[in-house]
Amino acid sequence: MTEGKMISVTIEGRAVQVPEGTSMLEAAKVAGVLIPHYCYHPGLPVAGVCRMCLVEVEKSAKLAPACATSVAEGQVIHVHSDPARVARQGVLEMLLINHPLDCPICDQSGECELQDYTFAEGRKDSRYREAKRFNPVEDFGGDVVYVPNRCILCTRCVRFMEDVAHDPVLNVSERGDRAVIGKFEGQDLTHPWAGNVVELCPVGALLSKDFLNKARSWDLDRSASICPNCTQGCNTALESRDNVVVRMRPRPNEDVNKYFLCDEGRLNYRWLNRRDRVEFPHIRRGDALAPAGWDEAVEAAAAALRGRRVHVVASPSLSNEVLFQLAQVIARLGGTGVFRVRQGPEAPLDGVPGLSLRADRAANVRGAELLGFRRTETPLAGLANGDALLVADEELAGADAASLAAAAATAAAVVVIGTTLPSWAMRAAVMLPIANMAEEEGTFTNVEGRVQRYLQAKAAPGLARPGYAAMGDLLTALGDQTVNVVPSDVFRALAAAHAPFGGMTYEGLGLRGATVSAQAQPAALAAAT
Amino acid sequence: MSAPAGGPSAGPRLTALDRAPRADAHERDENYQPVFVNARRKELDELLTRYPTKMAALLPALWIVQEERGWVSEPAMAEVAAVLGLTPAYVKGVVTFYTMYHQHPVGKYFVQVCTTSPCNVCGAEDVVRAFLKQTGASDLGATSPDGRFTVIEVECLGACGFATPVMINNEFLESVSADRVPSIVGALK
Ligand code: SF4
Ligand code: SF4
Ligand code: FES
Ligand code: FES
Repeated sequence: MTEGKMISVTIEGRAVQVPEGTSMLEAAKVAGVLIPHYCYHPGLPVAGVCRMCLVEVEKSAKLAPACATSVAEGQVIHVHSDPARVARQGVLEMLLINHPLDCPICDQSGECELQDYTFAEGRKDSRYREAKRFNPVEDFGGDVVYVPNRCILCTRCVRFMEDVAHDPVLNVSERGDRAVIGKFEGQDLTHPWAGNVVELCPVGALLSKDFLNKARSWDLDRSASICPNCTQGCNTALESRDNVVVRMRPRPNEDVNKYFLCDEGRLNYRWLNRRDRVEFPHIRRGDALAPAGWDEAVEAAAAALRGRRVHVVASPSLSNEVLFQLAQVIARLGGTGVFRVRQGPEAPLDGVPGLSLRADRAANVRGAELLGFRRTETPLAGLANGDALLVADEELAGADAASLAAAAATAAAVVVIGTTLPSWAMRAAVMLPIANMAEEEGTFTNVEGRVQRYLQAKAAPGLARPGYAAMGDLLTALGDQTVNVVPSDVFRALAAAHAPFGGMTYEGLGLRGATVSAQAQPAALAAAT
Repeated sequence: MSAPAGGPSAGPRLTALDRAPRADAHERDENYQPVFVNARRKELDELLTRYPTKMAALLPALWIVQEERGWVSEPAMAEVAAVLGLTPAYVKGVVTFYTMYHQHPVGKYFVQVCTTSPCNVCGAEDVVRAFLKQTGASDLGATSPDGRFTVIEVECLGACGFATPVMINNEFLESVSADRVPSIVGALK
């Protein structure tokens, strides 16, 4: 392939120029034409086994498989001409002879490429009158079940395990009409990234056990989001039904996660649906915390903090916007900001350099660092006598009772903002309930310094509000004149105040993100620290 | 410190191996006796010198197993995978692709009768029936109660001019008719 040489082709009457070596299928995407395909997937090596992508090329005797044929100068390609359509119709008829067409009970229904293409260009009926082949459902281990009757043998799953995960536990067993996807007795799809075969499967042959029979795909609301479970920042779609998140799936981003998501991230979404959420602001009245309105509660929080240095223990899963607002509070009052990060084993996806389930199991560790928060194992250690303690969405799980009691005794006041109310938080003067990441929008900064937006997927419970808005009100109550309670405004202020984010705009981040400047240095939190 | 940008940190790594401790399958089966020891091992080593990669020697290695054991069991597939540096799943895919590797035990005499069209019109079906009757095998693919015979149909054996050809293990018989079958089977008993 010569570097930079461009090839001109015409696809469905649209002239496009693509780099030499581009496949017809990819060139057609540039022209805005979808060539039907099954075995081809941009994240996998080309196999050319399904023949669904046949197209007609002028002056060529035979139809060409678009996924496995590079464009040549001057080619005129027809995707929807009669010969191409007839050929693909034949492929579909063959695929369906043994296919159960049990769409009404198939989880893939509604997002199934076999359904879509059959509807678009398949035959009205089948000419096949024999009994259909039958094979029983098989548990492939991990999160995956295999329904062989629905399999179209595109081998995407086999190639993913072999070429991307480098753990080839799947094979094509048998041959001809007996062929099925097989695995070896005792070796399961337990690779930490194996769940991706469920998305890669174009039909309902590989299904997620977690999602099995949970929802029909057309009932789901989908929001662009970022996986909150480690610092890699994989792009996701959060899918919810009736205000409950039911599935998290990868959203392609060439620069971060390609097309993939690890199993740990994928399956760790239930906490977004926690039922033990705090729905109202609370203020201490005598011995107990009592529900209160927001105005009253914000004023009480400001009163508790005013005139004191503040020690902020923040969750590194909070957005840049919330952390920035907290940094503003520290800047006003003086004090320190710390966070701690839950750890887990690292799990790289070998076939994609730089993609790994990271040891830091929180989304915004880098953002917290860049905004001046300090990583620590002992978040309460820096609390000085007479300081106010502000705990932001950190349950302090695992902290022993003695150190919590000591902290409570040391702190002049305790203010808690968060989603839940752990038992130690009963000592708080004020509790402000905030939205979790699925209930607000914002940005995270991933391990590589990439700032990425996530959108709201569901409504927050009760009176809980996004953290950036609650903290914006708190700042106002503390005398700050620049009222920023909209995420884009907060981000603008953040970008203006913190050099690594300089020049970025909330809108400009789009859904692909942008990377902080390479020399990014963490900010000093406050003059007083 | 956070992980260095761009690369995984040097921490504990979660791999498939951690999650599913997988001693090679043949090692988990305590009663399994490896094929590739002593003379068979030497045979394999000698074989490997003739191929560019270990993977390329998969088919002949499987033949050695079948010669030695009569069929290729799952633990045997795992052993082949281990000696050739492949995964058991890959080996199983190959074994199941080719019908000439037996995935179940077969009789001492493995009888393959051509029943493709030319032989069929010359009476191959009668030959098959005669073999089933004489050997006592209940059905195609089933092994006779004495464990000596398995009879199957095969596609064209390339001797259409000499219908009906029959292969018994590596012996090739031509122009077999139903009435010759008793003497053929008798000679083997
Ligand atoms: S795989 Fe697709 S076509 Fe087949 S039953 Fe499921 S939804 Fe229907
Ligand atoms: S299980 Fe799905 S991905 Fe795998 S070969 Fe079958 S249709 Fe393709
Ligand atoms: S997509 Fe081209 S052959 Fe399958
Ligand atoms: S058809 Fe029987 S040998 Fe060719």
